Amino acid sequence: MNSVVKKLIEIAGQNPKTLVFPEGTDERIPVAAAEIAALGFAKPIVLGKPDEVAEIVAKAGKTLDGVQVIDPRESELLPVFTAEYTATRGVKEGVAKSVVRKPLAFGGMMVRTGRADGMVAGVASATASVIQAASVTVELSAGVSAPSSFFLIVMPESDGRVFVFADCGVNIQPTSRELAEIGVVAAANAKKLLGQEPVVAFLSLSTKGSATHPDVDKVVEAVRLAREMAPDLCLDGELQVDAALSARVAAKKAPESPVKGQANVLVFPDLDAGNIGYKLAQYLGGAQAIGPIMQGFAKPVNDMSRGASVEDVVAVAAVTALQAS
Amino acid sequence: MASTIERVKKVAAELLDIDPSTIQDNARFIEDLGVKSVQTVELIAGFEEEFEIEMEEDDALAAKSVSKAAELIDACL
Repeated sequence: MNSVVKKLIEIAGQNPKTLVFPEGTDERIPVAAAEIAALGFAKPIVLGKPDEVAEIVAKAGKTLDGVQVIDPRESELLPVFTAEYTATRGVKEGVAKSVVRKPLAFGGMMVRTGRADGMVAGVASATASVIQAASVTVELSAGVSAPSSFFLIVMPESDGRVFVFADCGVNIQPTSRELAEIGVVAAANAKKLLGQEPVVAFLSLSTKGSATHPDVDKVVEAVRLAREMAPDLCLDGELQVDAALSARVAAKKAPESPVKGQANVLVFPDLDAGNIGYKLAQYLGGAQAIGPIMQGFAKPVNDMSRGASVEDVVAVAAVTALQAS
Repeated sequence: MASTIERVKKVAAELLDIDPSTIQDNARFIEDLGVKSVQTVELIAGFEEEFEIEMEEDDALAAKSVSKAAELIDACL
């Protein structure tokens, strides 16, 4: 386990949150939940059949101490969630019941109703399924029009810096408004997770008018909207990535910018740039990329890769717990 | 009893609050009927309720039109 994840677990452990894991039939989940309970940084709830979950955990040589297991189909919460869903979504009761008995939506309803503080899913589900289930249960935060994602980019120990890169996983071609929302929400997450004041750079191929193109205009407009949304946030753009990260370059290219080459939140103009950017940091810069971490929902929901390991689940659970704090 | 495809149209029409007779057999849920992506989960739940079946999430998400959904449901019945 790397030092950043250890630190996240340590901070989360100061105020353990309740996390729901809907994919209890996947053997990684009960094992990860047992590990999380043993580490004590969160209180895990696993959705699935209790005997199947117990068998998986026993096979792994662990115990279910501190892990709650709920079978959505047998749960006394099913009629409660059905009634709540019918009322809020305006669908027929039968449709509502069919939605909320599915583990992803049941987990989402646990979060919505405060029975859990966050949800970790995706090891056995498509990203679209996780996002759809969360969208109809947890719902988006006020003022957010689409979910997005970020990575924590942990530079090698010799460098020591940690960045938030957004959006590197969900929105292919965000509009100016969506880009502004991504930046503002990513800044809030950076503050929670890094414990540092966020300094947000909206990245572009241009710095302060050095190039003219509709793609540059999109970022300039995003910066204007982000300032309206969060007037106290330290943010700027459009900035090339060198002007965002180097004080020397910033002094030359953007001397008036409040970012001053000290950005710790990088907002990429589209998913091409975001995806390439985080992988360059990973493969050329030797950074560790933790994520994608979802953002934009009213309460934390995270979608993991289907290839995630038990260790990955534990790390994302720690991030989710901190997002909930 | 109505055919599978007519019952698929009925479920979609209820969700969207439109007249089922306006829905073509080959209509695509999102592009032609305007189903929002977040409503997909409710559309699938609607089919499950109407036909008293359980659909595999990945298969259901891949059935993007009325006719494809009817084919998938027929295979489940």
